[in-house]
Amino acid sequence: MLGSIPSAASRSLRARISIFFLPIIGLLALLGLAGCGGSDSSAGSSTPAANGGQLSAMAQIGEKIFHDASLSGNGQMSCATCHDAQRAFAQANPEAVAFGGPGLDQAGLRNTPSLKYLSETPAFFFDAEGTPTGGFNRDGRANSLAEQAIRPFLTAFEMDNASAEEVVNKLRNARYAAEFRKLFGEQVFNDTDQAFLDARLALQAYQREDTDFYPFTSKYDYFLSGKAQLTDQELRGLALFNNPQKGNCAGCHPSGRREGGKPPLFTDFTYDNLGVPRNTTIDANNDPDYFDLGLCGPPRLDLADRSDLCGAFKVPTLRNIALTAPYFHNGKFQTLQEVVRFYVRRDTNPEEWYPIGTNGLPDKFNDLPDQYKSNVNVTEVPYNRHEGDAPALSASEIDDVVAFLNTLTDGYQP
Amino acid sequence: MSCVSSKQRALSRLRISFAVLAALSATATPSLAAAATQAELEAKVQSLAEQLAALQAELAQMKAQQGANSSSAPAGAPAVTSATAAPSSGSASPLSFFGYGELNYSQPRDNTADTTADLARFVLGVGYRFDDRTRLVSEVELEHAVSSSEDPGEVEVEQAYIEHQLTNSIFAKAGLFLIPTGLLNENHEPTRYYGVFRNFVETAIIPTTWREGGLAIQGNSEIGLRWDAGVSTGFDLSKWDATATEGQESPLGSIHQELALAHGKDLSVFGALNYTGVPGLRVGASVFTGGASQGGEELLSDAHITLWEGHVRWTPGAFDVSGLYARGHISNTRSFNSTKVGNPTLIPENFFGWYLQGAYRLLDHGRYNFSPFVRYERFNTASDYAALPAGLTPDTLADQKVWTTGFNLGFAPGVVLKADYQWFRDSALSDRFDLGIGYQF
Repeated sequence: MLGSIPSAASRSLRARISIFFLPIIGLLALLGLAGCGGSDSSAGSSTPAANGGQLSAMAQIGEKIFHDASLSGNGQMSCATCHDAQRAFAQANPEAVAFGGPGLDQAGLRNTPSLKYLSETPAFFFDAEGTPTGGFNRDGRANSLAEQAIRPFLTAFEMDNASAEEVVNKLRNARYAAEFRKLFGEQVFNDTDQAFLDARLALQAYQREDTDFYPFTSKYDYFLSGKAQLTDQELRGLALFNNPQKGNCAGCHPSGRREGGKPPLFTDFTYDNLGVPRNTTIDANNDPDYFDLGLCGPPRLDLADRSDLCGAFKVPTLRNIALTAPYFHNGKFQTLQEVVRFYVRRDTNPEEWYPIGTNGLPDKFNDLPDQYKSNVNVTEVPYNRHEGDAPALSASEIDDVVAFLNTLTDGYQP
Repeated sequence: MSCVSSKQRALSRLRISFAVLAALSATATPSLAAAATQAELEAKVQSLAEQLAALQAELAQMKAQQGANSSSAPAGAPAVTSATAAPSSGSASPLSFFGYGELNYSQPRDNTADTTADLARFVLGVGYRFDDRTRLVSEVELEHAVSSSEDPGEVEVEQAYIEHQLTNSIFAKAGLFLIPTGLLNENHEPTRYYGVFRNFVETAIIPTTWREGGLAIQGNSEIGLRWDAGVSTGFDLSKWDATATEGQESPLGSIHQELALAHGKDLSVFGALNYTGVPGLRVGASVFTGGASQGGEELLSDAHITLWEGHVRWTPGAFDVSGLYARGHISNTRSFNSTKVGNPTLIPENFFGWYLQGAYRLLDHGRYNFSPFVRYERFNTASDYAALPAGLTPDTLADQKVWTTGFNLGFAPGVVLKADYQWFRDSALSDRFDLGIGYQF
């Protein structure tokens, strides 16, 4: 299916598709991707890269767009500026959020997520039990990679284009404009919406086809296929990661092979409300009335009245997690040690994570308005404990889990 | 007994019909012929012939029903499968129907909120005899009454095979058939075992009703020795779900394939011997072995599953005593298990179970019979694991011990009412009271 992504031959068909059908396109394309395994693997058992490792013409244009800073308002920012290949296509700078805008000095609202292993993410939906699932962005509001790409192009504190027309005008003058016209039609730039869509479909094709986005070459992948052994500490960490009574990490970040023997993605695509402490280094948080509530807004609009979902963010893949600090949607924590420690000590030792309030007690879940604090997950292991209880993991066990998480970094040489 | 009476009545009616026909023939004199037209006589003869044919069919049906009823008694009757309840080749029609079903009610002592009532099984079978040597045997089962995406039920084809008689004593099978193992697997109808539920050993260790697709040969010698051998599909360890508990409840039950798009890369072989040369005695053993990776999980490519068991059942007079020991082994699981550490259910290396059971037919009066019984079972679905590094080998499970006592009350041929109480020792399960009704036709 990867090899069958539409090219010039289907140009006339796509030209008739309006922007309103974009989510459907994305979903169908994703389904097609899932149907073929959707992933190349050196260590796993997935299908090889499409086209024998050669990117399609569309994906090649997508790669050029991905690295083209001329498509931003100030001509200095591309997708790759924030999504650093050396850091699993996650945020390049170490601060909590990335900076963009005309002077590349406007702070974003959320930490830049990795673009790796996203191609099998389903479009957003509520499952049979009402669990929000899938979608792109940390709040799932985009239904495909192509839809997701709208935001960075047009957001003032990112690539800062005022409109799709501005992006298309820059595309018209890009050095690969002739290739773009050849693939999508000589008149492509006469239809702004269509050209903008084509550019984003090309970006999507690049992210799906290039195995840099899903190499499955971590030590853990080789371990799953019997080509590498984990150290005793890494194995202990895996056991704690899996154990429903200890780390219970696998509850949301499944570590086993998926149906058909496909390598694990370490996400179940759901959402969780962890009560991550407020990060005061984010400019937006200087406003005490501003709260980033994930699924229910403010960037996402359609679930604003679902107060029960306020504070929930997407469960990310843990692949390459060692490369993608800082962590969580607000980049609150700098190390994996801190993250795992937060999980197991959030409730047993809240004073370690939250500021002390006027009443002398830790202000738990201080990045949520009072009315939404009850949404925080306090029922599942390991955050089902109370002050005075023993944490689910000891200090050495936290080290073991972190050792295991370090086996999820791509590029291991068995 | 009512069946015999019906048969006698049918025979009586048949004799009367013959007598009437003979009398008509004898009195068909020319003078009488003068009184009745030739056409009228022919019509009467035709009518009598039709009645005779109907009575013959009724008699054949009676014989078939009697055969089915006799095979439904819980005692004795070794190695008789439900398929044999189909009418013999002497039946008027090559097509036959049969079936069985069971309903149960189970109330845990400690948590009555978990009380359940269930139409556990409703099974219909169709047999078709192509000629005097070849027949089809099939059963379709509905479990738990309603089958849909939102209901717990399942629809399954339990058996679907062609049997061909090679000689007077040797039969060949091809298709989906029951594996000849244990006392229950081929005799799993509720009228043929004691207790509301099938025993644990022949559920958790031997995954009754266990069927595979393949080829098999069965022979019966004059001294009462039945032998079986065959090659079939096997288990699929790539289905093992370490995050779930099904593998703890029944290691093989969680990875059987039931010929539902079964992976067939690794086939298995099986064999069984059963001796029934002494009236009331059945003693036998079986083994089933084969690869189980099915090409689906490279770390299990050398995994091999073997299940063997031995059993005996002795039914001297009103007594019915039986015992069984079964043991399973799954080899070369270490690498796979090491990728699953910390999960609730790793693949065991060994599992086993045994039971002893005694019953006594206290009452056997007319259509009624009453047989109290007691059974003790001991089994372990994970008595051993392959050793893992870093001290991560899971603790073996404790042996589970279950006492069951109750009764079977037969009140019509092929119908049984059951009640029992089960004590679970060293188990998280609550003791429970069970009530059930089963039937077979």
